[in-house]
Amino acid sequence: MSEDKFDVIIVGGGPAGLAAAFVLAKAGKQVIVLERGEYCGSKNVFGGILFTGILEKLIPDYLKDAPLERNVTRRGFSLLTPTGELGGGFKFDKFNTAPFNNSFTTLRAKFDNWFAGKAEEAGAMIITGATVDDFLYDTDGKIKGVKARMDDGDILGDVVILADGVNSLLAKKIKLHKELDPKYTIVAVKEIIQLTEEKVADRFHLNGNEGAALEYFGCAAKGAVGAGFVYTNKDTISIGLGASIKSLMEHKLNPNDALEYFKNHPAIAPLIRGGEQREYSAHLIPDGGYDHISKLFTDNVLVAGDAAGFVNNTLFHEGTNLAMQSGVSAAETVIEAGTRKDFSAASLSVYKTKLEESFVLRDLKQFRKTTDALDANPQLFEKYPKMLEELVSELFTPDGEPKWDKEMKLMGKLLKQESPWGLIKTALAMRRVII
Amino acid sequence: MTARIFTGIEDKLGLDKFKAFHKPHLTLEKKDVDQKKLVEEKLFICPAKVYTLNDKNEMVISFENCLECGTCRVVCPEEIGWEYPMGGHGVTYRFG
Repeated sequence: MSEDKFDVIIVGGGPAGLAAAFVLAKAGKQVIVLERGEYCGSKNVFGGILFTGILEKLIPDYLKDAPLERNVTRRGFSLLTPTGELGGGFKFDKFNTAPFNNSFTTLRAKFDNWFAGKAEEAGAMIITGATVDDFLYDTDGKIKGVKARMDDGDILGDVVILADGVNSLLAKKIKLHKELDPKYTIVAVKEIIQLTEEKVADRFHLNGNEGAALEYFGCAAKGAVGAGFVYTNKDTISIGLGASIKSLMEHKLNPNDALEYFKNHPAIAPLIRGGEQREYSAHLIPDGGYDHISKLFTDNVLVAGDAAGFVNNTLFHEGTNLAMQSGVSAAETVIEAGTRKDFSAASLSVYKTKLEESFVLRDLKQFRKTTDALDANPQLFEKYPKMLEELVSELFTPDGEPKWDKEMKLMGKLLKQESPWGLIKTALAMRRVII
Repeated sequence: MTARIFTGIEDKLGLDKFKAFHKPHLTLEKKDVDQKKLVEEKLFICPAKVYTLNDKNEMVISFENCLECGTCRVVCPEEIGWEYPMGGHGVTYRFG
């Protein structure tokens, strides 16, 4: 391919890379996507909710044929205690009509492959089975393309967009990203469990194509700093668990053991009972937030999606929409720089401005303290859930004792286990996580 | 009919589709390191149990079982050499 020169080379065929490819191809740019998997999506894993706000702007009629599982009408948030849960959530019927709250349970192997087809239709060239190991440099040391591990793998282009995922070896190679820090990286493991459509609907109180997304905090990860999830697909369940690598190391806990603990928890086991396992997957999630994103651009290079660290790991659990928005912003930046015929860092710096103005960096900035707050309060993952279970279960056990006496007794018990200052400090830290 | 339930990693990996490449994409970079300690204190975290010890307490790297998550890179950036497998090889998720 060395005789061809592309306007843009995109490394990685996930939501960020494909959104960029779609926008660039629509604008008439010669764009090539290099995907290392057998097909786009074959290496990609997420929890399971696709947020489609950005997709809808790109492909307004995506609901016609996008391979989505269920539209999420019910979201649950539970604190797992040692033997039960304290939960809440919401379910709104208005989420049941278009645009369906822009939230759909999805399987990435199917969705990313579909999205790649759309980018191809728009005019992008997509090459699968192409692992990119390095850049190509001109005599001045300027990046002029990439080196893919294949015959004729030297590919030339004006700009390279790195959308190669959380491990982005390429962003690290050119020092845009530091090595991942165990404290700011989550390892998540997930299983796909086969039920039937009817069982999924009955078990999760769903009508028609409605879906449920249930998040579990507290002692989901066997005491480690982590959380679990259960999402309903059409006739399967996506069940998984993510935990901070630092915390798993401290607990000497393998992620699969944490997942098994979660799956066997009395509040979770009935949800997947009788199901047949279909797939087991593992993936990293960047969890550093605003203060640990990569440098976003340099001469002739932009970074998007997980490669840049764009994941909002709060209650909202958003990733794919940040990825797509960053892909769109990267594409727009390249188009603007193209009119100036200038792909230097100075010319590409508008990418950062675009993201700072969008929800991507505004949301990450708002929740920039989340990971530190959780890391600094490990009692949220074992001690507090245990205390809560004790207090609530005793309070709700009528045994002839007047409520006032009971409440005073429980208050005494609580203060024996934790100081008022400790409780206040934790509550204040949690405010950073939620609002 | 009761479905089989897999709890161990080896069994769970049997659910996945792999296409092995002859050349390992994971390597031990520091040959002089205590391999037993490395596996027991750090690489126990691998969700695919790629790193095990043989009866001589040498590390065995079952790279063909790798789920390509990168956890070992994060915990052993110096000791483990990590690159992506050859294009089109390694794990292929059918659900994801």
